[in-house]
Amino acid sequence: MLTTKIMYGNWLVMPILYPILGGLIASRVHTLRVRRLVVSTILILQMLIVLPVLFYDGTPYVFLELGGGIRLVLMADHLGRLFSVLICAIWFAVAFFAYEYMNHEGHRERFFGFYLMTLGALMGICFAGNLVTLYMFYELMTLCSVPLVLHIGTRKAFDAAWRYLAFSVAGAGLGLLGLFILQGYCTTDLFTAGGVLNLALAGEDRQFLLAVFLVMAVGFGCKAGMFPLHAWLPIAHPVAPAPASAVLSGLITKMGVLALIRVVYYLYGWEFLLGSWAQKTVLILSLITVLMGSTLALREDTLKKRLAYSTVSQVSYVIFGLMLLNPAALEGALFQAVFHAIAKNALFMATGAIIYKTHLTQVSQMRGVGRVYGITMWCFALASLSLVGIPPTGGFLSKWMLAQGALDADLGWLSYGGIAILMISALLTAGYLLPIVTNAFFPGKDFDSSNLVKQQDTWLMWITLIFLVAAVVLLGMFPNWLSPSIDAVVGDLF
Amino acid sequence: MLMLCAVFLPICAGAALPLWRPHDRRTRQDYVVGAACATAVLALLAVFTQAGSAPLVLLRLNDHLSVAFRVDGLSRVFGTMVSLLWPLACLYAMEYMSREGAEDRFFAFYLAAFGVTLGIAFSANILTMYFFYELLTLVTLPLVMHSMDGKARYAGRVYLVYSMSGAALGFIAMVFLLQYGGDIFQFGGSLVSGAVDKNILLTAYVLGFFGFGVKAAVFPGHKWLLRASVAPTPVTALLHAVAVVKSGVFAVIRITWYGFGPDLIRGTWAQDLMLAAVLFTIVLGSSKALQTQHLKRRLAWSTISNLSYVLLGVATLTTAGLVAGLTHMVFHAVLKITLFFGVGAVHFKMHRDFVPDIEGCGPLMPVVFSTFTTAALGLMGVPPLAGFSSKWMLATSSAALDTPLGYLGAAALIASAILTALYLMQIVLLAFFPRQNRAISVKIPKKARRDPSLRMTLPMTVLAVASVVLGLCANQVARTISALVLG
Repeated sequence: MLTTKIMYGNWLVMPILYPILGGLIASRVHTLRVRRLVVSTILILQMLIVLPVLFYDGTPYVFLELGGGIRLVLMADHLGRLFSVLICAIWFAVAFFAYEYMNHEGHRERFFGFYLMTLGALMGICFAGNLVTLYMFYELMTLCSVPLVLHIGTRKAFDAAWRYLAFSVAGAGLGLLGLFILQGYCTTDLFTAGGVLNLALAGEDRQFLLAVFLVMAVGFGCKAGMFPLHAWLPIAHPVAPAPASAVLSGLITKMGVLALIRVVYYLYGWEFLLGSWAQKTVLILSLITVLMGSTLALREDTLKKRLAYSTVSQVSYVIFGLMLLNPAALEGALFQAVFHAIAKNALFMATGAIIYKTHLTQVSQMRGVGRVYGITMWCFALASLSLVGIPPTGGFLSKWMLAQGALDADLGWLSYGGIAILMISALLTAGYLLPIVTNAFFPGKDFDSSNLVKQQDTWLMWITLIFLVAAVVLLGMFPNWLSPSIDAVVGDLF
Repeated sequence: MLMLCAVFLPICAGAALPLWRPHDRRTRQDYVVGAACATAVLALLAVFTQAGSAPLVLLRLNDHLSVAFRVDGLSRVFGTMVSLLWPLACLYAMEYMSREGAEDRFFAFYLAAFGVTLGIAFSANILTMYFFYELLTLVTLPLVMHSMDGKARYAGRVYLVYSMSGAALGFIAMVFLLQYGGDIFQFGGSLVSGAVDKNILLTAYVLGFFGFGVKAAVFPGHKWLLRASVAPTPVTALLHAVAVVKSGVFAVIRITWYGFGPDLIRGTWAQDLMLAAVLFTIVLGSSKALQTQHLKRRLAWSTISNLSYVLLGVATLTTAGLVAGLTHMVFHAVLKITLFFGVGAVHFKMHRDFVPDIEGCGPLMPVVFSTFTTAALGLMGVPPLAGFSSKWMLATSSAALDTPLGYLGAAALIASAILTALYLMQIVLLAFFPRQNRAISVKIPKKARRDPSLRMTLPMTVLAVASVVLGLCANQVARTISALVLG
């Protein structure tokens, strides 16, 4: 039995280590076709490697004891498994898009190498069993994704990457500071549903611990683009190549959210935070971000930057939901996380496809694009609907549940204010996404399409788009494919 | 006896060098590296076989004053660290100094410094330690001034002034220890209690802290370390990242834990003053490092900051803090030497000294920059590499003080860690990800790679591997140090 246990534990390292090694190997392959084959194989195998992990039961496995009582622990509980499947599937899909898109760019080996290594780091975050392990992979994720941001090598890319690095390191540092103080009040370092605080000790220093929580929330919220540490996101996401922007906005931001979920539900425990000023402060911060992101998106003409602001706004919906600390809201938050991940990836890739084909980057230039590239714009349109929250796409369901959760939370003006802001933001989202669609399909009488066709594309680009958009629509119509996983997570905690 | 051999062999070997004047580089290399290895072997033998034996008195000046040597726990840690690093540094220096000239003089003093550092490690009382401490300043001065141009001479003057001032303050502390203390260093303090007013003793201690702390680059005695970065890289790497500065830290530990004793100082204004100075240096060092564009000066500021990490552990006056500090001392030595070696290799091969000039050099010098990156990740504190555990232990011991300064200490460490990540990653990123218009667009063929020869790359690789191994075994390292020092 012991050897089986060890074997199970060691297998958890595989989904983390394998893409990292794979990335190192892929970066050495210089022939285009071979490299595409290598990357695809690695990603397919990755999904096969993750498959057995889906049957794990959440037992923590200790991997390494570093000095001072800190240890590296991995575990595969419901939350980790949910995110790992989401990440692996999307990562695989986006790679196909990247094969085509990256024909534009140089240094492709480097790109795919770090692309795969970032996947390994994200798997590490999903399967982290305590905050130190999570922090370790969080830093690794930052280090592996910085080269993706600065890939195109311009001055702007460098400044953006530097800003990304500085903010991320600062945010992670705040998280570490919080952990460091918190560890004295915890009964164990392992993530446990319901929290691990020693309530006797914690009760005495409650206000202090709430302040520490706020610091950690701001720190981990940085990666998710939450105010006040959001300033890096609208600069870093657009400057990366489109596939990288897609995974940055779609998935890497969710890792900040995951870290926050771990802190709220698996370290502090929602009961400790319920009704506190710290909870309300983070709720207010997330609502500020929702409104701010949508408003800034409205005024932005560069399409990728508009989508980046949109990310800032939409991810804070998730933070709002998870901070309401009730089952309906958490369910809504998790649905929103999943749907936003898929839809935002689709949007960035549709944008990338258009940039690739037409070399146009501004919204005002997008008139009539839908006439020439119908499929791409249809995908853009459907993904936009999901972001706005129009049934039957997935976004509607998640926003509905968030509203439900806000009412359940019974926080008075904060609940109603939250719902109002969600509504306003939905309107703003429609305002910054739908006109793009209408202008693309109905450009007006004097439209001349000749300057739009610059490059032909291949099936590689739109197969991913169709896959992701189909996912968003189908999962929106049949959420019970997704419900068991999400309900399992919520059930663990409440 | 072994100790004395270990101390005096390199001094004699070094002295013989300018007299003998070997004809070619090869002979000199064999001689120098051989002497360094022989000394290392002797020192390690002394460390392993002579622990805990009675002090060996070399000279007895009178009833209270003697020059004596002994191997205790702290000597073993410091002595081992120094002995393992010196031969590697000699090998590196052989290659590096081939372009700087005056190698006989250089290696004479380089070897002698080895012996003197071991003398500090094996000192059994404050007088012996003070004697070798002063000697270290004198023996390393020609190394700092090696190139003998204006800047080097000025640096040497600054070094001398600071060191002598520090030694003067240390002298006062020494007088008190000699007057009111026991004959040899004793763990927990060797002062005879009740003899004199506590505040006077504390004042003497504080003077000693800042005096000996000059070599440990505690604010305000840190300026010399920056000036000294004009010295050839083997000097800055080994001496000013490992031997000289760690001797300063060593001396501070001796007077705190083995001289005046932690119980005297704990909870008093003296401890608060120490903590404040150390905190300030930690943050000052890291912030200035980020602002500096000169590679070696950036690493010098980084050293200033990291030394104060160690001193933070010492200043907590708890055994946990002491062990944490010593662990970081060992880790930092290995990591910082690797970083300096990398920067030195870039100067040596490509004559580039500033951060912006490093752009794109990564693929040109892959071994150099991979070892640099490994060490940088370690120093930044990315788990599971070396720096994380030691910084964590330091922060834990600081916060355990449960006073505002203690918590500030932990916060300062984290702030410094963030800054360290930035100033080190900037170099790594620039090296491997040059901007478009500066990119080396053709794949570099093996022949065009500008990595230095094996004499430089071997030490760098060994040290980079060591840093990873140390990091993974951080627990064992801390426990070993704890066992050695605390018994």
